[in-house]
Amino acid sequence: MKILFSYFIFPGFLFSAFVGLMAGWVDRKVTARLQWRHGPPWHQNFTDIIKLFGKETILPKDARSTFLVSPYLGLLGLVLAATILGQAIFFEADGFTADLIVLIYLMSIPAIALIIGASSAGNPLASVGASREMKLLLGYELPFILSVVTVIIKSHGVTRLSEILIRQAALGSNVFSLSGGIAFVVALLCMQAKLGFVPFDMAEADQEIMGGALIEYSGIPLAVFKLTKAVLLATVPLFLIVLFLGRNTGPFFLFVKFIMILTVAILIKNTNPRVRIDQALRFFWRRLTVFAIIALGLAVFGL
Amino acid sequence: MDTKERIKERLKANIISWDEPFPRRIYFSVQPKDIFDTARFLFKELGLRFAIASGMETPQGFEILYHFSDDKTGIMYSVRVLIEDKQSPQIDAITPLFPGAEWIEREMWEMLGINFVGHPNLKRLLLSEDWPEGNYPLRHTT
Amino acid sequence: MDIRLKALTRSIWAFHVSAGSCNNCDIEILDCFTPRFDVERFGIQLIGSVRHADALVITGAMNRKSVPRMKKIYEQAPKPCVVVAVGQCALSRHMFRYSYNCDEPLDKILPVDVYIPGCPPKPEAMIAGIMKLVDKVRSHK
Repeated sequence: MKILFSYFIFPGFLFSAFVGLMAGWVDRKVTARLQWRHGPPWHQNFTDIIKLFGKETILPKDARSTFLVSPYLGLLGLVLAATILGQAIFFEADGFTADLIVLIYLMSIPAIALIIGASSAGNPLASVGASREMKLLLGYELPFILSVVTVIIKSHGVTRLSEILIRQAALGSNVFSLSGGIAFVVALLCMQAKLGFVPFDMAEADQEIMGGALIEYSGIPLAVFKLTKAVLLATVPLFLIVLFLGRNTGPFFLFVKFIMILTVAILIKNTNPRVRIDQALRFFWRRLTVFAIIALGLAVFGL
Repeated sequence: MDTKERIKERLKANIISWDEPFPRRIYFSVQPKDIFDTARFLFKELGLRFAIASGMETPQGFEILYHFSDDKTGIMYSVRVLIEDKQSPQIDAITPLFPGAEWIEREMWEMLGINFVGHPNLKRLLLSEDWPEGNYPLRHTT
Repeated sequence: MDIRLKALTRSIWAFHVSAGSCNNCDIEILDCFTPRFDVERFGIQLIGSVRHADALVITGAMNRKSVPRMKKIYEQAPKPCVVVAVGQCALSRHMFRYSYNCDEPLDKILPVDVYIPGCPPKPEAMIAGIMKLVDKVRSHK
């Protein structure tokens, strides 16, 4: 019973979806304000999802069987990740050993679901979007995992999220050490790609490839994909807070830290153009990986 | 010797009339049978750039203007030909000289019905697939 | 009223199709999304794929080549979908009504819901037209 409550309501689906959709609205409002516009009202993202539930779902003739299944797989896997993360923060006793590793795997499921869904659409533009998403996934997972490993080394081999939090509560946030700071910057930039924000939104490029990976989706599957993106926007910054800024996780501090990370993501989003996929790969594999390895080395030496 | 003089001297036999109505616009007329020779001289030897061609139906016949641009001085040389046979007009295609003329000659064929002899690919360009054959929309007498 | 239809009136995703327009109306449509007029505050967004569309914004006089393609695009948009005809060319073919290439105006081919006249229509006219449609949907159903 408690598991169902955690999965569906708090801190699982409903809570993360609500937080994610509101965070998405903050993003749209701030972007609009930066462009001297007004921007949509606070309920806009919710209205979008409700409207999509009222549209018909069109199945393309060439679509394969995974076309309708993959959005739900992505959402289910991601909500599981949100639940595990939320339990580590709010209900310490329910975590389990190595739930950090499980979380890394689960957080890459939405991207894989997008790739499967886009490749089964039978549309050449969708396969362009899928191939870009695949390459981007390979690109940002490497420095991301290296920065997570940095945190694990700093916590002396602990892979349980609640224990990482306890260590930080005792010794200070991971971000204030040299290796933690570098790893935090690396993880922030990888988060930008994971969330699919500009400058790394080439998989879903609106004007360039007509919606890219999501081109053939309509109606409820599209709503599920948008919900997945919202839950991702709630989960990944929270993950970064747990790893790097985990000293004080009371509700007020959590809120402030979440807003801070969201602001950084929005500012990067509004000041940069979209980059090409080869430029993105070069950025992730050459520059960021070097910094991540430096952070890793510094963590090994205890800095 | 500048470009104008070279044209006047080399194509003396072909040119019927010469007109300079505005600064940097020169019109001269040739016979339809000499257009290939004229175009080859202007493009290959003088190095003028073929800009566009325009076709029109007049009471005297089908008039085509070939516009060649001299990019160094900004002067536009327009070669005018008048095809007098309105029943079955035809003229040499200049596409074999440079492929840039292929599409404009296709368009002139499908809109006005001028047959371009020697054109490698005289097919429909702009009109839709279900437009009836033999119906040339920009002719006045359709 | 059904909450999903009510949500549709507050979140319209527009897909812009040009059937051979001179691009003036297209530029004015893009003007609606600039900071001066900003239709995003009504929930209207320009999206890339026709399968995400709630409103088909059509400009240009229908020439013979565009007609089968326009019908195909209309079939590809998931219903409920609104068709907005922007500009005189889409309404009545304007100066091309005696042309050899434009046989029928748009509303003989697709069911049009909003007509926005003008050559090109001002963004204020387009916003007024969309709001009239929103009011009509809300009061009808």
